[in-house]
Amino acid sequence: MQRATAPYILILPSFLLAAAIILWPLKEIVSLSLHDVNRFGMIRDFIGLEHFRVLFADPDFIAATWRTLVWTAAVVLGTLIVSVPIALILNEDFYGRGIARILIMLPWAISLTMTAIVWRWALNGESGMLNSALRGLGIIDTNIQWLAEASTAFPMQILIGILVSVPFTVTIFLGGLSSVPDDLYEAAATEGAGSWDQFRLITLPLLRPFINIAFVLNTIYVFNSFPIIWATTQGGPANSTDILVTYLYKVGFRIGRLGEAAAVSLIMFAILLIFTIIYVRLAMREAKA
Amino acid sequence: MTTIKKLCLFAGASLIAFSTSAFAESTVRVTIAEYSKGTGPYFEEAAKAFEAANPDTKIQIEVVPWDNLQQKLTTDISAGANADLSIIGTRWLLDYVKEGIVAPLDEHITPDFKARFIDTFLSPSVMDGKVYGLPIAASARAMYYNKDIFAKAGVENPPATWADFKTAAEKIKALGGETYGFGLQGKEIETDVYFYYGMWSNGGEIVKDGKSGLDSQAAIDTAKLYKSFIDEGLTQPGVTSYSREDVQNLFKQGKVATVITAPFLSNQIKAEAPNLKYGVAPIPAGPSGDKGTYGVTDSIVLFENSKNKEAAWKFLDFLFTTEQRTKFDKVEGFLPVNAEEAKDPYFADNADLKVFTSLLPNARFAPVIPGWEDIAQTTSNAIQKIYLGQGDPEATLKEAAAKINETLK
Repeated sequence: MQRATAPYILILPSFLLAAAIILWPLKEIVSLSLHDVNRFGMIRDFIGLEHFRVLFADPDFIAATWRTLVWTAAVVLGTLIVSVPIALILNEDFYGRGIARILIMLPWAISLTMTAIVWRWALNGESGMLNSALRGLGIIDTNIQWLAEASTAFPMQILIGILVSVPFTVTIFLGGLSSVPDDLYEAAATEGAGSWDQFRLITLPLLRPFINIAFVLNTIYVFNSFPIIWATTQGGPANSTDILVTYLYKVGFRIGRLGEAAAVSLIMFAILLIFTIIYVRLAMREAKA
Repeated sequence: MTTIKKLCLFAGASLIAFSTSAFAESTVRVTIAEYSKGTGPYFEEAAKAFEAANPDTKIQIEVVPWDNLQQKLTTDISAGANADLSIIGTRWLLDYVKEGIVAPLDEHITPDFKARFIDTFLSPSVMDGKVYGLPIAASARAMYYNKDIFAKAGVENPPATWADFKTAAEKIKALGGETYGFGLQGKEIETDVYFYYGMWSNGGEIVKDGKSGLDSQAAIDTAKLYKSFIDEGLTQPGVTSYSREDVQNLFKQGKVATVITAPFLSNQIKAEAPNLKYGVAPIPAGPSGDKGTYGVTDSIVLFENSKNKEAAWKFLDFLFTTEQRTKFDKVEGFLPVNAEEAKDPYFADNADLKVFTSLLPNARFAPVIPGWEDIAQTTSNAIQKIYLGQGDPEATLKEAAAKINETLK
């Protein structure tokens, strides 16, 4: 066997596997999006970009796209901002650290859908835990109908999104922090660096690759995250909390327009692909520099 | 990425399809919607009883939550992996018939078999003179009211008209505290139907002469009426955060004095709030005496691509014997669809169910039109906007009606 072909032959099985589970469905989706499709997925006439034209003429679709970007940015950035201090605290040696770590990780052990349903109950206007807690503390005196309007529902959904993303992100950061050698801090301390300088000049730069990976993975998860919004509001009232995945689900499986649904998923795929390419470019440029 | 996952499901489903076709010829797969905790056990038991009598046939029951049924059927059918029999909402049936996915049952139906049914419930599954499904579940809607709250507010009888209802709700509000007269649903499945109750009382129709009835005066009046209930604090606050189940729960907790819903609430109250004193009354009438309730059936259908049509039919025949129907409807709290069954004392002497059956002559079933779900969604969105005060009732409804007329074309 020649040396030049050997790597390709070795890669071939995994390439075929990847092709079967990624490229074949992609081809099917493209074909669905370009044809007239009935609600049972039977393909009829070729209609070109008609589905895309219909989508871009739908104000609900445009609104859902913008909302998806807000949702993703808010949850991902919120998670990073919350997770860094939590990871720093959990990295310190203190009494009860084991229990604190377990408590932070615990939400991860529960399925996302279940967490979301528990929140739906907690946010119930008349019998929800949140309202009764706030009333008990004397913060409010009439119930807030959290899920009745997008102006209260969507921020709560973002908060739930942050809450469930924290465990994963903290885990990554803790792994990163454990790789920072202690003598760096000792050296910095002898040179007179305060704890803020230590954080800014040592911890943050060394944590950088871990923040990067958490950023990318969270973006992909959150962008595609269905359960939180679906279980709390189903994208309502009047589509005002829809993001692209919930919009996709409604168009595809409620209303049965599979062609348009395929077009939505291609657009989502394109957005994530562009994001990933830009990101990889930036990361590589940094690595070279 | 989610899409890719879904497509993998397609692929997986088709693999399952191959493997099941290798089974013995006489395996009948049945997709069942889960109405309650009792649904799965009932069908498992029925399957066992059937297998005991027909040893050459195996019945394989697949229970699916209601919310996922449409999605499962779509994926299964597109992959050719659907079961032999399935429960579907009768309102979806037209789409299935148009695509030739379900088989007509007429060749199997004898006059004797047909005579088992109460005609009102069989007729929604008849299209172009052919029977495409059998009514596996039937229900209608009526108003549940809390007798204690009514008594405390000095309201003697359940309201006969919407005007009476409003007066009653005002009296209930005057009691103070957090009790509301009108439990109004504003979220998720059947938000549109909750609006239709009032619209029918005002003499409106969902579809008239092939056009949406949402821009009719009846619909506009109803929107203004419901909105006035909301604005005057006669409904629970934040109606758009309450699904049907949520409003039913408020009723069980005694926080709303009325809720319009299906007979199964009686079973739930018996189990969860046995001390609640409630009555069942017709939905209030409109100013000119118009009345309406929503009649719903779900159908069990036989798929055209089934390879075991004979065996599947035998199972259907078995499910619709008086004995099986009585068992099932008792478990679920549905209305009897079988004439003999209706004579069973459980149904005949049940005060709640009597109210429901008395309403059937005025019942509207979902109209046989394509794209019912699409229309339901447009309607729900429009009335949610009105409930929230984000749109003028008349303009919002007219806009929705125009959109629906596009769908109906």
